[in-house]
Amino acid sequence: MRKVFVRAGIALMATVAAGAASAADAAHGKVVFQNCAACHSDKPDAIGPSLKGVYGRKSGALTDFRYSNAMQRANLTWDEANLRDYIKDPQAKLKGNRMPFGGLTDPKDIDDVIAYLKDYK
Amino acid sequence: MVTRLKDVDAVTVGLGWTGAIMARELTKAGLNVVSLERGPDRIPGEDFILPAVRDEVKYGARLELMMDNSIDTLTFRNFGNERALPIRRIGAFLPGEGVGGSGIHWGALHWRNLPSDFRIRSALTERYGAKSIPDDMTIQDWPVSYDEIEPFYDKFDKICGVSGKAGNLRGKKVDGGNIFEGPRSDEYPNQPIKTSNAGLMFGAAAKSLGYHPFPAPVAIASNAYVNADGVTLGACEYCGYCNRIACETNAKASANSTILPNLRLDPKFELRTRCFVTKLNYDKAAKKVVSVTYTDMKTGEEYEQPAGIVLLTAFVFSNVQHLLLAGIGEPYDPTTGKGMVGKNYAYQFEAGASAFFENKELNPYWGSAGMSTIIDDFNGENFDHGGLGFFGGGYINCNTAAAPPISGRTVPHGTPEWGSEWKHATVKWYHHAARFNTQGSVYANRANYMDLDPTYKDVLGRPLIRLTYNPPDNEFKMSAYLLTKVEAIIKAMNPSTYDMHPRPKTFTVVPYQSTHNTGGTIMGADPKSSVVNRYLQAWDAHNLFIQGASVFPQQHGYNPTGTLGALAYWSANAITSRYLKNPGPLVHA
Repeated sequence: MRKVFVRAGIALMATVAAGAASAADAAHGKVVFQNCAACHSDKPDAIGPSLKGVYGRKSGALTDFRYSNAMQRANLTWDEANLRDYIKDPQAKLKGNRMPFGGLTDPKDIDDVIAYLKDYK
Repeated sequence: MVTRLKDVDAVTVGLGWTGAIMARELTKAGLNVVSLERGPDRIPGEDFILPAVRDEVKYGARLELMMDNSIDTLTFRNFGNERALPIRRIGAFLPGEGVGGSGIHWGALHWRNLPSDFRIRSALTERYGAKSIPDDMTIQDWPVSYDEIEPFYDKFDKICGVSGKAGNLRGKKVDGGNIFEGPRSDEYPNQPIKTSNAGLMFGAAAKSLGYHPFPAPVAIASNAYVNADGVTLGACEYCGYCNRIACETNAKASANSTILPNLRLDPKFELRTRCFVTKLNYDKAAKKVVSVTYTDMKTGEEYEQPAGIVLLTAFVFSNVQHLLLAGIGEPYDPTTGKGMVGKNYAYQFEAGASAFFENKELNPYWGSAGMSTIIDDFNGENFDHGGLGFFGGGYINCNTAAAPPISGRTVPHGTPEWGSEWKHATVKWYHHAARFNTQGSVYANRANYMDLDPTYKDVLGRPLIRLTYNPPDNEFKMSAYLLTKVEAIIKAMNPSTYDMHPRPKTFTVVPYQSTHNTGGTIMGADPKSSVVNRYLQAWDAHNLFIQGASVFPQQHGYNPTGTLGALAYWSANAITSRYLKNPGPLVHA
């Protein structure tokens, strides 16, 4: 009984959040994330580092990925603001990093992919 | 001393496109598969990353991904009465080496043959009469039809995430695609990649002359795409570093980016790199290859690997060399026409042109290697050869894309090849040069073949493969005809100046032309006319399946990878659905 109540509570909160101004859509973010998943595939031969748990993590934190010098020196925390700037224009945010991606142009896509990354663990 | 290893279900000799396809399909069917690759491993996360991959000196000029000529090469001569000499540094064609093989550095043009290509001798006979085919033109029908192989073309398209526009969807012609192509069961997985400025100009000019331009089909994903094996491919970033170079975003398909991410995780699969297979051990009485012998190139130690099924998935030259060394089948003799191993070697006949547009900005620094606009009006039997004096043809394309900083400097004929005048010319023309190519077919000729060289050996003491090749007159006429069409289109584009580049009368092994070598272990309807049957199974060894372009009976006017990938899936399907249940010949001679 108690469990059911808690779940309903979360569902209610989620509904409220979705109704807020940002209206980030994690389900759509998952679709947008396909643009990232070619390299960030969580497989041993992947071109990019795993993004599982990236939200809130320090930059360049994984020990099994060889980051660029720029990323090693960056000392960022991947919070919402830093992720937004980086996904929008990776080279503007962190000059010299070696991610071969020009950035997402649609602000809604960026919000949604961040919403997805928050839950991607 | 040779160490004998534990038996495995199947072994692949090499791990490029066909090795990866076979290993993946057979492990999925429950077999334990070992891949023996003579070169190094190539892992996207280690080897395809920025900034290292954008290095034209390392990859474009010094050929980092290609076969190592200090270990192995081939000898070449134009005609049978000459002494062949070893190619000390590969040039005209660049077979790859290492995991992924030539499928890493390719331009990713992804084609199907025409339905009439698969029955070319019959088609020519019906249209022009049997007497019209010259005696020395040793072409033959493929033992498979377009319709039979279409589902496997489709499957390979969906592994590679091919980008393009269908011109024939289930029999319905679609404007803007290639209306000459065979019926496709499905649209391309991805919409076409972007078109370069010169491509747009070419398309408009070709249309004004009544031709049918369309965007090149390329195994380069224009959008993020989840392939048929569940692997996500990235969208092309149009970085400009493509040909001879690995893709940094997993957009240009390679076995490494499309099949190996899953295959490497399969416990039934084992990869051994730097393992050079030197010999297939053939039991002639049992008509089986019982094992392969290889040398570990790191230690020099020799091993014998017994296997239930042997998949010969090396490059064309090595496939033929293995059969000749093992004594499987009869070597081809060009004087008698007898013997099949080594027969019908063909090499794509390409000739091109360049045009210069002084007042047009063509932005050649961006794009991908295959990015181009194409017409297919003069390929195969798409046009009437009556009275022309030749057979065959090819597609015509124009591109300005991905012209790299060293080799992408096209200048008008007559410009000095070095010095300040050359420098001025490259600065003046870099942004304004368009390149054209004709992808000519080569209808096999009796005089062109491969055998073992009597003199030269590789680093392990094996005789090199000897290539005897010169394009027949038929191909020179074909090419000259295609170039008249190119010239007419160029004139309609109204350039400041232009140059035509016909091929010299004798073939040379430099400069680069294409890596489209075919034949030598050709497929056919019976052992008298071929080395392998319609399932790529050797007539003389039922557990030996020979993959790749070495099985093409002749070369049509298209890049070979699309067809060799489809054939691999077709062959794998025959193995898993029929051969495993009842090992033996799948076609009775």
